[in-house]
Amino acid sequence: MVLSKNSGGHRGMQESMYSVIALVFILVACVELCDAAAAIDVYRLIQYDMSGSAYGSRFAVLNHHAASLHFPPGADLSRAVLIIPLRELNITFVREYINQKKPLGGLLFLLPDIFSFENGGNKQVHEKEKLKNLLAELEQLLIHANIPYPVYFAFENDEIDTVLVDIKKNDAIGQPATATTGGYKLVIPTPEPKKVASPTITNIQGWLSGLKVDGDTNQLPTIAIVASYDTFGAAPALSVGSDSNGSGVVALLEIARLFSLLYSNPKTRGRYNLLFGLTSGGPYNYNGTQKWLRSFDQRLRESIDYAICLNSIGSWDNELWIHVSKPPENAYIKQIFEGFSNVAEELHIKVGLKHKKINISNPRVTWEHEQFSRLRVTAATLSEISTAPELLQGTGGLFDSRQFVNETAITRGVKLVAESLARHIYGHQGKNVQIFADGGSLAVNPAYIQSWLDLLSQTPRVAPFLSKNDPFVMALKKELADHTDEVNMQHEVLEGVFTFYDSTSARLNIYQVASVTFDLLLLLVLGSYLIVLFSFLVITTRGLDDLISLFRRPPSRKVKTA
Amino acid sequence: MTMFHFFNCAILTFGPHAIYYSATPLSEYDTLGTSVKAALVYLGTALVKVSENDGFDPYQELLKAVIGFIDVAGLYFALTQLTHRNISQNHKFQAVGLGWAFADSVLHRLAPLWVGARGLEFTWDFILQGLEANANLVLSISLAALGSLMWLRKNKPKTLIPIIYACAGIVATMPSITSYLRRGLGWHFPKVVGFELFTSLSMAFISWQLFSACQRPSS
Repeated sequence: MVLSKNSGGHRGMQESMYSVIALVFILVACVELCDAAAAIDVYRLIQYDMSGSAYGSRFAVLNHHAASLHFPPGADLSRAVLIIPLRELNITFVREYINQKKPLGGLLFLLPDIFSFENGGNKQVHEKEKLKNLLAELEQLLIHANIPYPVYFAFENDEIDTVLVDIKKNDAIGQPATATTGGYKLVIPTPEPKKVASPTITNIQGWLSGLKVDGDTNQLPTIAIVASYDTFGAAPALSVGSDSNGSGVVALLEIARLFSLLYSNPKTRGRYNLLFGLTSGGPYNYNGTQKWLRSFDQRLRESIDYAICLNSIGSWDNELWIHVSKPPENAYIKQIFEGFSNVAEELHIKVGLKHKKINISNPRVTWEHEQFSRLRVTAATLSEISTAPELLQGTGGLFDSRQFVNETAITRGVKLVAESLARHIYGHQGKNVQIFADGGSLAVNPAYIQSWLDLLSQTPRVAPFLSKNDPFVMALKKELADHTDEVNMQHEVLEGVFTFYDSTSARLNIYQVASVTFDLLLLLVLGSYLIVLFSFLVITTRGLDDLISLFRRPPSRKVKTA
Repeated sequence: MTMFHFFNCAILTFGPHAIYYSATPLSEYDTLGTSVKAALVYLGTALVKVSENDGFDPYQELLKAVIGFIDVAGLYFALTQLTHRNISQNHKFQAVGLGWAFADSVLHRLAPLWVGARGLEFTWDFILQGLEANANLVLSISLAALGSLMWLRKNKPKTLIPIIYACAGIVATMPSITSYLRRGLGWHFPKVVGFELFTSLSMAFISWQLFSACQRPSS
């Protein structure tokens, strides 16, 4: 009885100890520690539907083993993620994999540093062009394919380079990573991508009024300068579009600044209104521009003399193109072209005229001026691109980074447009008058261009992921408000042809894992160690007989009772 | 396979304690109470000690060694002051040492094991920690043996007394020695664990010899 009382006391103490241990377990389970070998930022391939067809990468969650390009032929990659650095990319290999719909766990592309904003430098100039073209080709392949596994982009850094070297070594000895052989595991814990509900496009317009002479009741003529500011690329979180169309936006802001200086003084205010338009929805057949024009008053639309659209003027050497849809023999077109050519000659720039007829029944809109032409407004697009781009091509993708844009090209472009406009406004056509001469108070400001270009090169601007009150859109509005009399914002919903899905960036965790066989082996070793320890202790403290008797206890008990 | 790894490391860290209890005659004499009391005393002494710092600073280390003797004081308390059931000297020190080592393992190794070993990332650290727990068990039992020799046994051979105190001193300062090796000399964890295992086995052997030498006159 004494025994039972004491054992009861012991049980009580045991219970309290267990409860303390349980409390510790609960507290500790709430703490999440990051124990990965490496954790890097990754950016997902865009996922979108166009006219009901699915494109891009359809999945976001990743939890597979890593493999490199040196995998043994015939290996099963359906549960492996291929890590491909851009320098080692073989585009035919990727094209084959995607077109033949071979099963794959995932793709991770590693981009060299030059494509990121922070680490741009003038290293390896000749390789830059090759990599740029390769990346452009890869992008076009990926955005027009339907890929049933996650595809991510990341920038190369030391951590992932060492991991990749290790993976290549393992693959070379013919031991790709699976659950039983250990290796590296890539985990991206992100929720399933959801549709972006009613993506908005925001058009910003600035109005600079011309000089109205007393007694003149007619509406002053208007000149419009337009640039689209949004982008579309393979990785929406990286689509900064420095050239397409960051250069156009920067040029527009600088022209607005120069003319606001001229128009601030009534003595130098021209007899033309100036309308500056920053439109969105550019990659989607200039949808935003169309909606913006449709919102115009009939009188305003008729008062527009002509519109100049700026598209990619950041990386040209000596030649620019003016694209029109009205035939070159048209009087207005001739006038515009001559005005530009005269100024271009003085600036040692070659300007060519390209004519492309518009087909109203075809929804495809290649250049922004075509939206004006469809509403019978004279317009032209100034661009360094000579051939018309395809849908979703040249809209500011991964390869379009700050590295490849030249501020002097933009500066010269601004000078060309501003001088041509000024000569038309103030009636100095054909005369050799330099209004925006270098070194004067109206000189083009390269520092302004550079700072805005840097900002644009750090801001991804894919329209569905820009909310109505996005700080960047607000910044553009404020800047335009500084240079114009009146600013308006127009919010529209992107039309139903395109549907976008979110989850554009995530954090990748790379774990070094041990295989199942290792764990089993360890269990075996520990089990034998504990058995040996047990036997050793029994033998040394109680004697060998006791150890043997442990195995013979049941029979002996039977003998006793019997 | 991460819960698997956690299970492996847990049985390495805590298994020997359970095995020691069940394999030796301790279980027959129901000395669990003694072990539990010793564990609680250990927790008490742990609260008294100051937290560790990263660098090796001689003055700090000296202070820590002095504080380390609180360990010894706690063990003295557990051995002498707590009322035990009528169990022989032989079993008392084993039970106290076992309880002491178990509390040490739980306090210092359970939380890192639970948080770290369950993750996907594989490191050797937890297996090494388990080996360290094993060495610690052996050391605690030897320290308890020497402690019982010092304070509980009245008639000791004169020649052996200084040896007993010297060995007790070495075992008591083991934590300081290992932290000096790790931080002062910069030894890697596997090397430190190997050193601990070796010293624990040798100290256990020495204290076993001392214990049996002291036991001969009385028996």
